[in-house]
Amino acid sequence: MANPVIETINVGRTYLLGKVPVDALRGVNLRVEKGDFLAVLGPSGSGKSTLLNMIGALDKPTTGRVSIDGIDLSTLNDNALADLRQKIGFVFQFFNLIPRLTAKGNVELTLSIAGLSRAERGKHATYLLETVGLKERVNHKPAELSGGERQRVAIARALANNPKFLLMDEPTGNIDSTTAEEILDLVKRLNEDKGVTIVVVTHDQRIASQARRAVQMLDGLIVREKVN
Amino acid sequence: MKTTDVFSFAFGAIRLRKLRAGLTTLGIVIGIAAIVALLSISQGLQDSITVQLQTGFATDTLIVSTGGGLGFGLGGSIGLTDSGFVLLVNDTQIIDEIENVSMSVAIIQKACYVKSGQRDFVRSVVGVDFDKYSQIYSSTFEAESGEIPPNPENETVVIGKRVSDPWDNGTMFVSINEDINILWTNATVRPPKNETYVGSVAAILKEIGALNVGGPSDSSVYIPIAQAQKLFGTDQCDMIVVKLENDNEATIQGVSAAIKTAFSGQVSATSSTAVLNILSNVFSTIELFLAGIAAISLLVAGIGIMNIMIVSLMERTREIGILKALGMKSRTVLVIFLCEAIIIGLMGASIGVVSGWGLAHVVVRVLGGSGIGPGGQNMRASGMTISPVLTPTVFVGALVFGLIVSIVFALYPAWRASRLKPVEALRYE
Repeated sequence: MANPVIETINVGRTYLLGKVPVDALRGVNLRVEKGDFLAVLGPSGSGKSTLLNMIGALDKPTTGRVSIDGIDLSTLNDNALADLRQKIGFVFQFFNLIPRLTAKGNVELTLSIAGLSRAERGKHATYLLETVGLKERVNHKPAELSGGERQRVAIARALANNPKFLLMDEPTGNIDSTTAEEILDLVKRLNEDKGVTIVVVTHDQRIASQARRAVQMLDGLIVREKVN
Repeated sequence: MKTTDVFSFAFGAIRLRKLRAGLTTLGIVIGIAAIVALLSISQGLQDSITVQLQTGFATDTLIVSTGGGLGFGLGGSIGLTDSGFVLLVNDTQIIDEIENVSMSVAIIQKACYVKSGQRDFVRSVVGVDFDKYSQIYSSTFEAESGEIPPNPENETVVIGKRVSDPWDNGTMFVSINEDINILWTNATVRPPKNETYVGSVAAILKEIGALNVGGPSDSSVYIPIAQAQKLFGTDQCDMIVVKLENDNEATIQGVSAAIKTAFSGQVSATSSTAVLNILSNVFSTIELFLAGIAAISLLVAGIGIMNIMIVSLMERTREIGILKALGMKSRTVLVIFLCEAIIIGLMGASIGVVSGWGLAHVVVRVLGGSGIGPGGQNMRASGMTISPVLTPTVFVGALVFGLIVSIVFALYPAWRASRLKPVEALRYE
């Protein structure tokens, strides 16, 4: 059997909050296969975002192991991790767009980090923004875009380098429900039509019901799993 | 990430904070401008003095004078030493005996009132043997109009160009064949006695444009040595100019030593090369000192850069987190921050070099207009003009220095930026 795209084995993460150690994750086991659409649910502080950071190669576990495509992340150095991050599409809760760049500029930035030439970038970025329905807003800066539009730019950016999988942190958390609906549609289409592997951390029950699978987290552990 | 992309990203970040980047750049501009202005002025001064000395000062001559050596108080009377030893006009006979000496000429030099018509000036009046003097300084003690009489018997006068035409504008103080009155107050007798000398201008020297160190100058009045002895009532001379057979270092050393021995160590013999060397040493020291002061301002500018970069780093922590989350390598983050410093440094240094160069010209013009040249005359009358000189070394050096300061002070902030952990940077508010 092929390696799962994402695999976490007994992952634990302990933070120091001041001088008090806090266990954000306490042994999480998770497998995500190619083409999967997984929703991670749970109350605030249950460790959802921490888990997402682990999978996104942004943070390192205190105990246990995270593997992407069968490669143990703890064996990678800083540069290799940076290269890996280029192949992971991360959609942040607060969009995290660069304010001084236009929608297109933000998408292009990701492509330029990956070393694409100016000509290649421009075309690809426009195509991506069209895909998420922002054809008319290409040259607007984040401040000139609505929350939903910013979220779309963030998704376009995450898709830019043809990622192994898409990680989304509360994609509907900061936008109104109509827009959330549209975003959800977009995400579903990406999964169903383009076969993009997606992991979504959310409070939103609608997303959980649309996903192929949903896991429930509590106090740093996965407590329940549900397959739709 | 491609280099051009790194640069344009860095440039975009600078453009976002125009005022702040502008002020930081200004710091570098001021530092570099100060260095360039100071160095190019002092280089110009050095060049101009060196050229003038070389013109007025043949390399195969020695200046013999009493005391510790030739000062730069040009035109002043070098009189009695502590021991009471004086150099006499006929001491040239002793010097002429020395091997490798071609000839020597005694010079008596006093500041006198020089009168013609309604005007009078204080000028240096030099008593000298016209024949020998014109042989030693054949290229400078040369008549433009009239003729220098080789063996004047009556009261003749040869004047420098700036005596005849003091303002270099055709307003003549005295012309050829006109009489000139020289008035000297002998203060060595009681009561002081006024001596006068009336001579006809036999020749006007061509313009020399040089300082007077032993050699002829534009602003001196020359009378025959015998007349000078009579006028000043003394056989004591201020210096003896010695012409050597050649300008070999060995000859210069040998003759200098022989002259000192002949006068039992009571005189000093200074060669033109020695004077040039002293001058060059003095100027190197001054230049170093000035450059040091300017470098301090650049250091302050560097600290300004560091300060700005650290503030910028804190402001952009989140941005750095995003970049890293998008897969940017730490090295690239470092390079982006260094690029920002390079852009600021390059702009500052370029503007600094240009404005320093301009500043040097302004300073020279302001000083040249009202400044005081040697001998209390304004620079124009003494034939001295300074034009700032920007050597390629200073030009390139200033650019590189500005750049280095910017980079060095940006290293720490850039390193700190590159070390940020993505998760922590993203969480930063």
